[in-house]
Amino acid sequence: MGQLLAFLYKYRAFFTFLILEVFCIWLIVSNNNYQKTVFINSASGLIGSVNESANEVSDYFSLARVNRELAEENERLRAQLLNLPESLDSLVQLDIDPDTTDTVQYYLRAAEVIDNSTSLVNNMFMINKGRGDGIEEGMGVITSRGVAGKVRSVGKRYARVVSLLNTRNPISARHLPSQRMGTIQWDGTDPKRARLLYVTREVDVAPGDTIITSGFNAVYPKALMIGIVSAVAPDANQRDLEIQVDLSVDFNALEYVYVIENKYIIEKDSLVENDPLEF
Amino acid sequence: MSRNLSILLIALLVLLPFQVLVLGHLALFNIGFCFIYLLFLLLLPNEIGYVQGMLGALVVGLIVDIFLGTLGIHAASSVFFMFLRPFWLGIITPRQGFEVNTLPSIANYGLIWFLLYATPLIIMHSLTVFFLEASGSGLFWLTLSKAGLTSLITLVFMVALQYLFYPKGKA
Repeated sequence: MGQLLAFLYKYRAFFTFLILEVFCIWLIVSNNNYQKTVFINSASGLIGSVNESANEVSDYFSLARVNRELAEENERLRAQLLNLPESLDSLVQLDIDPDTTDTVQYYLRAAEVIDNSTSLVNNMFMINKGRGDGIEEGMGVITSRGVAGKVRSVGKRYARVVSLLNTRNPISARHLPSQRMGTIQWDGTDPKRARLLYVTREVDVAPGDTIITSGFNAVYPKALMIGIVSAVAPDANQRDLEIQVDLSVDFNALEYVYVIENKYIIEKDSLVENDPLEF
Repeated sequence: MSRNLSILLIALLVLLPFQVLVLGHLALFNIGFCFIYLLFLLLLPNEIGYVQGMLGALVVGLIVDIFLGTLGIHAASSVFFMFLRPFWLGIITPRQGFEVNTLPSIANYGLIWFLLYATPLIIMHSLTVFFLEASGSGLFWLTLSKAGLTSLITLVFMVALQYLFYPKGKA
């Protein structure tokens, strides 16, 4: 026993090193597991408020751009309003769609991005809305330009979102002209581009085609913008197409986002055991 | 000794917030980060024990991790950094040995010695950070260039910072 203790004491530096490293690796692994509750919640109030006050300073520098984006969004929405079908006319017979629930399916909540990264391989960002504002794990996050990510962990006032720029965050997508399904996956390099996987070779894909969400998972509504095809080539295995997509969201300039709550998510999830955050 | 202690305290209290709030996600060409908080670990005196050094590295690394949302990665790399440091210090001991109560900085041992001391440790740290972060995604060359550029930027910042606060008597 004494010898063992002497041995442990002699190499105490190495054993301390081992113990500490095992602890760190355990942290990394448990943090990578999106389903488990994380050991240290990095969406906690303290971290969030520090990030928020740091963000308040840099807010002013992006005001002009944020204003322009808001104006563009308003313009789009107004155009949609003008193009709505004409208001009720007693002469026209109305077809009312049979709908048993007749409720709203999606709720949107606006939030501000207070901490963001695009240069890591697995990027996250932080928003200033949390459980107190009705945010829950697994909700989709979009901007006025398209899909941005998925809520990962929620604190009382803040939440961490897995960015689309995360190699562990694949998104179900659809090639609009051909209506074919695929998966949008970031490859960890260019924050302006992602790849569309699993579209087979016979599909006619050309640069300039639009890629939208499929609506096949309960996180995003269908037909949300993701990006535009920028390059197409057959892949090395000659099975699928290698499609590069220019993302419609500029992640380096993420400021304001909307968190989507799907009212039917429980119903949909109970039908399909759907785990959006894991492969 | 108290002077060294105050230098270390100031280094910690300035470098850590600077790292997490300002340098946090700034990246040159989207690949070059700056891990200036390593200067604090580098400046720790030679006499500090293995165990204390690594525990300190763990705490500092965890704080950086929590803010950057990369839980465990900087902590693991910093502990590895502090594990290697005493060995490396033993190899590059100056001819007259280390003076007692002096921090291993440019002011005390000169620029060349400091570069010799800091460069391999910083490179090892950057390599660990980026390979842990990219674990298994197969981006070998991108990860390598991230680590290379990051080490360079970190070194430049460290040297600049030390000359900026060069003690008057020594100049």
